[in-house]
Amino acid sequence: MYQDLDPLLLSQLRLAIMSYLMVAQEAEFNVLKEKTDATAGNLSAQLSKLQEAGYIVMEKTFRNNYPLTLCRLTPQGMAAFEDFYRDLKTYFDAKGG
Amino acid sequence: MEQTEKALSPQESLRVIRNTIDLAKRSFRDNGFHFLLWGWLVVLASAAHWYLLVNRLHPNPEIAWAVMVVIGMPAALIREWRRGKQIQAPNLFHQMYGMIWLGYGISMGLAIPLAAKSGFSPVPIILVLTGFATFMSGIILSFKPLVFGAAAIWAGALWCLFLSPEQHLLVQAASAVFGYLLPGYLLNHQMRESNVPRP
Repeated sequence: MYQDLDPLLLSQLRLAIMSYLMVAQEAEFNVLKEKTDATAGNLSAQLSKLQEAGYIVMEKTFRNNYPLTLCRLTPQGMAAFEDFYRDLKTYFDAKGG
Repeated sequence: MEQTEKALSPQESLRVIRNTIDLAKRSFRDNGFHFLLWGWLVVLASAAHWYLLVNRLHPNPEIAWAVMVVIGMPAALIREWRRGKQIQAPNLFHQMYGMIWLGYGISMGLAIPLAAKSGFSPVPIILVLTGFATFMSGIILSFKPLVFGAAAIWAGALWCLFLSPEQHLLVQAASAVFGYLLPGYLLNHQMRESNVPRP
């Protein structure tokens, strides 16, 4: 049961990024850094892993002439998060709460 | 945030999801502006409508509701325009909140002329719809006074069954006090308290 959980999401930072984006829908890199309390290097590395898996897209854009990176979940990422949460619930249900 | 690749346990995973979603949810808050604005306007318009009606002071006593268009809509639009400039990114809760009140506005726009055309007092229908939108707002904001306010508004709708159409207007004013103004002031107080730096 535990082994069925998506290994990519069994990481505190990656799971926090995915959970935050499920609600916020999109977030700037700096917002994610503040909300997850991660270092820029670690956040960047974990975002790259999520992007490689097709779970998020990162869009580089500008606001008031300042560059910013917007992150948002892909439909595949949303499905992966929903599957992960369902598998987690199944695990707890099987354990009896 | 932990930087190692240690796999989370299911318990830790659930905690991370709950904490992060709660954090994202808390970034959407409401200072009660709309509840206070529309609450006061409904109280004033209902009371003025009732006064003009029972004293036969005006051939169209419903003119009192013009304040909703003349004061309410410009004030609400200006407030949302200002807030829109401050919001960093869309939030699912903010969108749900907006969609509920948009649906409420459309339902009101349909229900009022339909009731008027059928010769019924629109007040009970307005209260039923208002109770629903207030209830959903209370659930989204996790703010119980709004849920109790919704219950007061629904109770007002039920009370209308036993009253004349003129009296419906007074019930509407009272419902706005309990359903909009009291929760609105409490929301505003909560927002001010949360903005006070903690020692």
